[in-house]
Amino acid sequence: MATDFRFPDVGEGIHEGKIVKWLVKEGDDVKNDQALVEVETDKAVVELPAPAAGKILKIFPREGDTVKVGEVIISIGGQGERLQFPTPVHEVISKVVEAVRAPAPPAPEAPGHALASPATRQLARELGVNLEVVSGSGPAGRIMPEDVRNAASRKVVSREGAPIAVKEEKVAVREEFGEQRIPLTGLRKIIADRMSYSKAHIPDAVGMDFANVTRLVAIREREKAKAEKDGVHLTFLPFIVKACVIGLKKYPKFNAHFDEEKQEIVIKPRFNISIAVDTPDGLMAPVIKDADKKSVVDIGREIAELAEQSRSRKIRLEDLQGGTFTITNVGSVGAVFSVPIINPPQVAIMGVHRIRDTPVVVDGKIKIGKVMGISLAFDHRVADGAEATLFMNEVIRHLEDPDLLLLEMV
Amino acid sequence: MVVGELTTNVDVAVIGGGPGGYVAAIRCAQLGLETVLIEKRWLGGACTNEGCIPSKALIRAAAIAHRSTHSEDLGLTSKTKVDFRKMQKWKDGVVSGLRNGIESLCKSNGVEVVEGRAFFQSSNRLVVETGHGPADYEFKHAIIATGSVPSVLAGIEYDHKWIIDSSDALSLKSIPKDLVVVGAGYIGIEMATMFAKLGSRVTIVYRGEGILRNLDPELGAEVRKKFDALGIRLFLNSVVVGWKPKGKRAFAVVQGKEGKEKIPFERLLVAVGHEPYTRELGLDKTGVSLDEKGFIKVDAQRRTTDPNIFAIGDVAGGPMLAHKAFREGKVAAEVIAGQKSAFDNVAIPLVVFSDPEVASTGMTEAAAVKAGYKAKISRFPLSASGRARTMGETAGFVKIVSDADSGVVLGAHIAAPEASELISELSLAIEMGAQLEDIAATIHPHPTLSESAMESAEAGLGKVIHIYKQKQSQ
Repeated sequence: MATDFRFPDVGEGIHEGKIVKWLVKEGDDVKNDQALVEVETDKAVVELPAPAAGKILKIFPREGDTVKVGEVIISIGGQGERLQFPTPVHEVISKVVEAVRAPAPPAPEAPGHALASPATRQLARELGVNLEVVSGSGPAGRIMPEDVRNAASRKVVSREGAPIAVKEEKVAVREEFGEQRIPLTGLRKIIADRMSYSKAHIPDAVGMDFANVTRLVAIREREKAKAEKDGVHLTFLPFIVKACVIGLKKYPKFNAHFDEEKQEIVIKPRFNISIAVDTPDGLMAPVIKDADKKSVVDIGREIAELAEQSRSRKIRLEDLQGGTFTITNVGSVGAVFSVPIINPPQVAIMGVHRIRDTPVVVDGKIKIGKVMGISLAFDHRVADGAEATLFMNEVIRHLEDPDLLLLEMV
Repeated sequence: MVVGELTTNVDVAVIGGGPGGYVAAIRCAQLGLETVLIEKRWLGGACTNEGCIPSKALIRAAAIAHRSTHSEDLGLTSKTKVDFRKMQKWKDGVVSGLRNGIESLCKSNGVEVVEGRAFFQSSNRLVVETGHGPADYEFKHAIIATGSVPSVLAGIEYDHKWIIDSSDALSLKSIPKDLVVVGAGYIGIEMATMFAKLGSRVTIVYRGEGILRNLDPELGAEVRKKFDALGIRLFLNSVVVGWKPKGKRAFAVVQGKEGKEKIPFERLLVAVGHEPYTRELGLDKTGVSLDEKGFIKVDAQRRTTDPNIFAIGDVAGGPMLAHKAFREGKVAAEVIAGQKSAFDNVAIPLVVFSDPEVASTGMTEAAAVKAGYKAKISRFPLSASGRARTMGETAGFVKIVSDADSGVVLGAHIAAPEASELISELSLAIEMGAQLEDIAATIHPHPTLSESAMESAEAGLGKVIHIYKQKQSQ
């Protein structure tokens, strides 16, 4: 019995991927879970594992082809079995061909010829862009130099870390009447789309408060050296993650997604905390999975690793997926308060800011405290201000009293 | 030059000094690579010395001679006397001038030119047999640009006296009274036309259905229209089954569909194509492999199956054209220098210096249909061109193949005076991915033949100005 392996729904709104490299060929025997193919999506390069052991009977899309979710990409049979049914529907989308030569995609005399000028073709070679999968913005779908540069900036790094992306010349800046015009491309475009979507669809409300983290600062100073020995540079962020998880456990509406289509609040059982990371290409949000089950030091280590992978674009797709709540740490840069934008389909995002020496009143006396501004943006469809404030209070209570934090962690 | 045991180390050894080889060598040197160019006979190769250049010189001279004696309607009556020896001398001067030019170019760019035959010893060594003994070279990369040799036809092998190749034909001492041309490709047609204009009685014998069969069939048909006026006899579906010298002349036995005919000749030119020249190169000592037709297998960078060795030009397959080799030579050199070049051209034009000239670029209508396009044909007859009228040469047309849906230009086929010059606008259009509208909306100078491309594109768009409405193409 042959198994049809379809391009799986990898979530995060990804509907299609590009076949980067086949790791197996027709006739190969594969083990269950053996990596079959590298697929590049908008976000990362992923390896897809074999769903079953057997012989590869047929491989459908070729390298460079774009496949849609649900499309059959490979057929695996039991040992010795042959493909018996006709080729299943395989819709290969070559946008260029679609745009330029619809309705009959031809096999031109010079194979692999895309509609682009010789100079544009040379540029594509230099930037490592496959023109066959670039959609052209020019007349009749002609691929323009900007299209190639945009495609180059969208490229992510392969799993082995061999950089496909071209760092320099990511964006085609052009001068017009003394102004610089920078097209939205790659990650910038994704961020723009998501943020626009969020602001346009989510009625957000923002709460703000201060947390006196004087004691937490002392503990962090104390533990820092110890963590350093384990190779972890301990920041405040892992503590904040822990405090949030405690708050989220008590107020689960904020550890949730909002299902637009079904108009349902989806309370998430896992505590997967997205951490906003500033990269040269723009903001990315890798996910600390099951933060409730990890130690502060482990979370610290993981944040450092994922941040580095994000910056070098070696991050795996799965590490960008499945977040249930986001923390954005503006503190390393500054600001008293910020108003973060919710990362859909999540329900809430917390902004944490710079810890400053601030006069605080303790037992009727003014003392110097270490104070941090905290803001919480939340989806007002899902929760109301009172709950949000209670959630924030819970987080603040734990940040201000690390003993409590440690108690809860056990 | 190094003689004997000493080995010279070079970055690149280019074998063959024809259009591909010398261009590759110069580009290599320009890119800072230590380059040696090995040529066994003469720089410029077949193209400069016994092909493109001498034939175009003689074709030009023959055309002037013919035109000047056939211009009564222009009010010119003269009988031009052909001094063939002097014509040959002029042609030889043209050739040697260009050859010397190539030598100077090589020298000024720092290419070391070595005369001799090269034999590979391994994937990074070769020996050159020069007049002064062998010279050894160790190279990081080699470029094979050894070209091709005329194909031999069994039963009428070249004796270079009666049975000649195109090179012999271009260096004849006298104009043959009777010339038989076997083959109706571009060389056969050019030679037939040239000698007919110089006064030979020319017979073309070809085994196929039509002439210039690699091109759009309309081009061959247009060229045939002039054969009667030029006194060229055409035997299609026919082969030469035997020949015999008889005194100062010889007779060829031509077998056609209707039977045999004896045709007298002074020379019989065999022009039935070329074969890649890879013999005696010692390729078996390298990792270079050949395809089933004997061409060296190459990729888009013109790399062979041996990572150190590249191949370009006729020997690397594809149309055997100097301009294709020029481009390949540059690509190979740039790739060796670490640049990301590739031979990715879509349009390789082919020109025939027939009467009228014909030229072709990109896809024919049939190829476009086969490739899945909805092919649209646009056409403009030269008879509607003001410039063609003023030249008194109105035979021909400009035909553009485009994709009906997108308007993108896919191919062009021109029969016209100066078709060889007109074709490049269309090649550029194809390489740029231009649409018919781009050509139609570009101002072309008046009155010129080049307007015909614009008019043809406009015809395709259904808005031509200079053709009567009822004649307009679809």
